This record gives sequence, C-alpha cells and structure tokens, in this order.
Amino acid sequence: MNAITPNTPSLPAPVGLLAELTHRCPLRCPYCSNPLELDRRSGELDTATWQRVLTEAAGLGVLHVHLSGGEPTARNDIVEITRTCAELGLYSNLITSGVGGALAKLDALYDAGLDHVQLSVQGVDAANAEKIGGLKNAQPQKFAFAERVTQLGLPLTLNSVIHRGNIHEVEGFIDLAVKLGAKRLEVAHTQYYGWAYVNRAALMPDKAQVDQSIRIVEAARERLKGQLVIDLVVPDYYAKYPKACAGGWGRKLMNVTPAGKVLPCHAAETIKQLEFWYVSDHSLADIWANSPAFTAYRGTDWMQEPCRSCDRREKDWGGCRCQALALAGDAAATDPACSLSPLHSKVRELAKEEAAETPPDYVYRTIGSNVDRAAPPPLKEDAPL
Amino acid sequence: MTAPFPTPKTDESQRLLSPEELEAALRDIGARRYHNLHPFHRLLHDGKLNKDQVRAWALNRYYYQAMIPVKDAAVLARMTDASLRRVWRQRIVDHDGDAPGDGGIERWLKLAEGVGFRRDYVESTQGILSATRFSVDAYVHFVKERSLLEAIASSLTEMFSPTIISERVAGMLKNYDFITKDTLAYFDKRLTQAPRDADFAIAYVKQHATTPELQRQAMDALTFKCNVLWTQLDALYFSYVAPGMTPPDAWIPGTGLVAEVAQAVGTGTIRSGDVPRLPRGVRLRHDEVRGQHVLLAPERTFDLDANAVAVLSLVDGQRSVRDIAGKLAETFAADRDVIEVDVLAMLNDLATKRVLER
Repeated sequence: MNAITPNTPSLPAPVGLLAELTHRCPLRCPYCSNPLELDRRSGELDTATWQRVLTEAAGLGVLHVHLSGGEPTARNDIVEITRTCAELGLYSNLITSGVGGALAKLDALYDAGLDHVQLSVQGVDAANAEKIGGLKNAQPQKFAFAERVTQLGLPLTLNSVIHRGNIHEVEGFIDLAVKLGAKRLEVAHTQYYGWAYVNRAALMPDKAQVDQSIRIVEAARERLKGQLVIDLVVPDYYAKYPKACAGGWGRKLMNVTPAGKVLPCHAAETIKQLEFWYVSDHSLADIWANSPAFTAYRGTDWMQEPCRSCDRREKDWGGCRCQALALAGDAAATDPACSLSPLHSKVRELAKEEAAETPPDYVYRTIGSNVDRAAPPPLKEDAPL
Repeated sequence: MTAPFPTPKTDESQRLLSPEELEAALRDIGARRYHNLHPFHRLLHDGKLNKDQVRAWALNRYYYQAMIPVKDAAVLARMTDASLRRVWRQRIVDHDGDAPGDGGIERWLKLAEGVGFRRDYVESTQGILSATRFSVDAYVHFVKERSLLEAIASSLTEMFSPTIISERVAGMLKNYDFITKDTLAYFDKRLTQAPRDADFAIAYVKQHATTPELQRQAMDALTFKCNVLWTQLDALYFSYVAPGMTPPDAWIPGTGLVAEVAQAVGTGTIRSGDVPRLPRGVRLRHDEVRGQHVLLAPERTFDLDANAVAVLSLVDGQRSVRDIAGKLAETFAADRDVIEVDVLAMLNDLATKRVLER
C-alpha cells in the first residue's frame, strides 16, 4: 500500500480533519451533533495515537485541524496535541464551550501555537443560554474565556446554533460578538442530526422567524463590514437546495471519533450499513482512499434520480446522506431538503407543523443513558403526515 | 404681504435697527435655529451614526448641493445691476466649476462615492426623501417669488457655516474610518468661499434693509432658510435613525452602492501609507501536496495565485502599502501607481474578510 498518495488518481486530498478528541462535555446542548451513543473516556485514543494521526493527516494534505469534541480541553493532553499541530504546520482550530478547565489551559494553548478559537454561545440572555446548555453559571465563564482569547491576540469566532429557543436573540448575538471582540460570528441554524433530530420539535423555528433572522444578518453584514464577518447557515428544512454536506462526501473532510473511528462526516454513523475503519487498523491515507464508508457516496456514481441527471450534482453532491436516510429512509436518496426531492413539500409542512406546536421539553445530551424519546420516523411520499 | 413665520408685532419689532443691531439680530437667528443644533448633526459629528446613516445624509444632501446653482441663477436673473451680477455669478462658478470634473457639486459627488455610492445613482436623486425634495424646491421658489433683499438674506446661513464645517470635518475624520480627507474635499473649499459670500450678502442686507418692515423681511427670510436646512435633517432622523420609518421609494441601505471591491479601495481600512500585517491566526503557507501557496485563516483557506503570493510575501508588518507597490514595481518593471491600486484592492478585500490588519 502506498502510505501517502491515495491510489485513485482523480481523488482530491482532504483539506480538513475534524478531531473529536473526546465526547466528554460539561454542557448538555439538546442539538449536539455528537451521536446518541457517546464514546466513554476509557475508549478514547491516547496521545501518541493522535500524534500519529495528525502526522498522517499533514502528509495526506490536510491543512486545517479542528480540535473538537465534546469539549476538547477536557483532554489532559490538549496542549501537547495542539503543539503537534503547530510543529506539523497544521492550522489548529479549538472548538470549545469555554467552560470547565478551558480558561486554565488557554495560555498554554496559545504558547503551543494555537491558531484560532471558536467559542460556542448558547444564548445572549444568561438564563436562556444556561437553560439551553444545561449548565448553571456557564455564561460568565464563557465571557471570561472570550476576554482572555482576545487579550492574547488570538482570533475569536463566536458560534451560535440557532433554534426556536434563541432565534429572537440573533441581533443580540451580533452585538455580543462585537462586544467580545470576535472577528467572526457563525449564525448557524440547527442541522437536524444526532441529538437535534431527536429534539427537532423542540428546536424548529417557523418560517417568518427564519426569514427575519436572515434579514437581520444581512443588514448587520453591511453595517459591520470590515469589523465582523458573519457566516450564516440557513436551516435545511426551509432551503431551496441542500448543502454540500462536508463539502461533498469524502471530498474535503475526515472526522476521527474519540475512539478512532474515521467518518466522512460527524453524523455518518447513523447510516448503519456503512463499514467504518479505525485509525488503529489502517493509515489515514488508506482510509481516505479505500474505506468502504468513504467510497460509498463519493462522487456521483451512487446517485439516483433526480440527482443523477441534475445540473447541480457536483455543486451540492446530492446534499446530506444522513438526512436522506433520516427523512427518506434511504441514504442514497436525494436529500429531502432539496426542492427537487419528491419529499420536499412534506419536509416544509413538517417544519411548519412542528414550529406551530408548543415545544416539548429538551432531551439533554448525556453519556451512557437511554434517550427517552424516539427519533422521528422517516417521511413517506404517499402517507399523510 | 404675509411673513412666512409671523412674529408678534411688538413695539420693539417695529423699531428701525441700526445696521449693527440688524446683523446681531440675524446672527441670533443662526445661534438658535442653524442646523448644527439638530440632533442628527450632533450624531453625525460625534461618530454616533452608522455607515448607512452617513450614506443617507450624503445622498439626500446631494440634491441640495445640486440645486444651489439653480437657486443662484434665479437670484441672478432678478439682478438688474451688472456689478451685483458679477459678484453673484461667482457662486455658480464655485458650484458648477469651469469644466467637467470641477466645482462643488463634483466634490459632493466624490463624497457620496467615498461612502460607497454609485455616481449615477446619486445623480438620479431617485432615492432621496420627499421631504428633502420639498424643502429644497421651496428654497428655489422662495428666491424667485420674494424680493431680491429676501432672496439675498436667505443665503445668510453661510455666516454660520464655517463653524459647522470645521466641527464636521474634524468629527467625521476622527470618528468614521471610512471617511478620508479626500472624501471631505468639498468642505475645504467652502471654508474660504462661504465667508466671502456671506460678507457680501450681509453688507447688502445691512445697506438695503432700511425700514423696520424690510428688516423684518430679511430676518424672516433667514429663519425660512434655517428651516429649509432643519427640515431636511428632521426627515433623515425620522427615516434612518428613529423611529426608522423610511417612506416608499426612498433609499434602502445596501442599494445604489458600487461593487464591493471598488468600495473597499475607496473607503477600506488599508490606505497607501499603512503598514499591513497578517494577524495571529492567519498564515501564508506552501502546500506541498497540492504544489501551491495558500493563506490559512480561521475556518477558511484562500488559494493564492502568483500575484497574490508576490504581494503577501512582502506583507511583513514593516513595509507600507506604498513600499510594497514600489518593490513590486521594481521586480516587474511596472508603474508603481498602477500596481498600488491593485495591491490596495487586494489588501482591502482581505481586510474586509478580517484576515489582514494594519
């Protein structure tokens, strides 16, 4: 096996590695993108293995490493791992909640060569934020963390996941980003996978709220041009075309779970029939080129109609496979978020209905306990909702 | 004839004032009613307006500027004395210039372009508030319909303008990073033109307002003109500050502007003398796997062409934009000024994306 170059000539090299260092996290956000079955600490990769994975990633062409989780600073070796990124020339991005031990490790992370911090904020109003995150006293910790990030001169991005519980605060998130000295703000409408799929009815905003949030962001972009960059992720259920999930399946991104399983995207494990390879058994290059999970939906050969003959097939690559499975019951179907999907109108109706109902309580993310709410079933073309 | 803003007829108001007393009374009108006292102007000078509110001001005020020569031509048409016309026609020359690209209107267009507008959009006046149009048109009608004395007296707001201009220029340069000295070139000229014009007008009014009735007319004319200016700011405040009720068809932020890059060149944060640098978290790197240079930044990667690499390799936190352009001009045997325009466009684009600082 050639350890460095993938054996498919036309195969592009991955640009990003999402390193889910741990699933442990002090927060319990009901929209967490982690799988419902979370890895335990005892199953996590050790420092040396992560360092090997990073070395292989750099050789393969990865430029950005997203140090994520769970809460990545919950790992005792987060500074060492960051230093390895810097030594390899990899751009390190810490995706953190800013709570718990994060602040105590920040200066050491800076010294180790950390490039960028992405801090999550659950809400603007502290009580609301702490209700969503499921952790008391989180907000002041986050603000103190943000202050130290900008004091050190590290670039700060605020990430706000938007849903019906905080969509009224979009303007506030923008003001908060300016106040905290962030250079970027992500206004990311919830993507309904993992915990968010289970909690969909509690999270789904209505169309008018979504439209209003988009108008607010567009006005702020103009007003704050050169001061704050705002990235907007619009919610799939209200979109016209789907997103190119992770830039296209197996085209740009690799995701390594705490236990070393390598996924084309963080939700891919929901597709049960896929065979995932582990970093303990294969090199990253081998996995990228040959893992059945990566080759399953790479390119366009797997597509059905209407994707197969669609002009957009190499723009959005059929959308999200996990969403296709969840909503259409077939991972190779057109993502129902696409207006060309026969299920699209049902998706719209479903969003409308859920948004109109009284929201149920959140099912908070937890490790090792049963989820006490069933995930919503797939839609059927002929069956009424 | 009815005065536009009736004042109680007291004995005092019917007394003939000495020329000095008349001037003092006219100055007192300005001290109480000139638009430097308007809340919108306070916000403008103190840097409290956002970019779009400054734009709304520049756009609407253009109509006033553009109609000034029309107004002055109307005044001129009523002057039967050649010596008067010779003095007054200078106002038209000042505003229109002697050739295309010259004059006060042109400089105001530069200001509007400086804050990001397309010239043709501004010249069309299609986005101005109706209140702006009504006020300005009322001014033009006023000088046509009233006596020559009243027409000339209505121009006396120029007595107060040097103060507002100095305040405005200093305040705007200090508070808005998108305003440059070049953008405000209009006001440089007005600092000398306005006092000259005002000196002539006040002398004329003092000489010709020879009865209490004529003096009252002169004062009312000046009050009227103060209201022309004040009303325009009321409308701006109402539409673009609070309660933010923009009438149908009036300018909406984000429209009428030039393309993003051109705007960044004119108003961006990086200028010729600035020293650009890549902040922490932005790195120029050679990507061996793909055989190209990339700029690594938060959550994004910029693929760089050879020109971009040549520029960014010279961004070291020491060289100014001018130095960088000079260095490139040497290397590529090209004109430094031409290169500088391209370098500024590229650096401002990166600055807008928050991956380059100065």
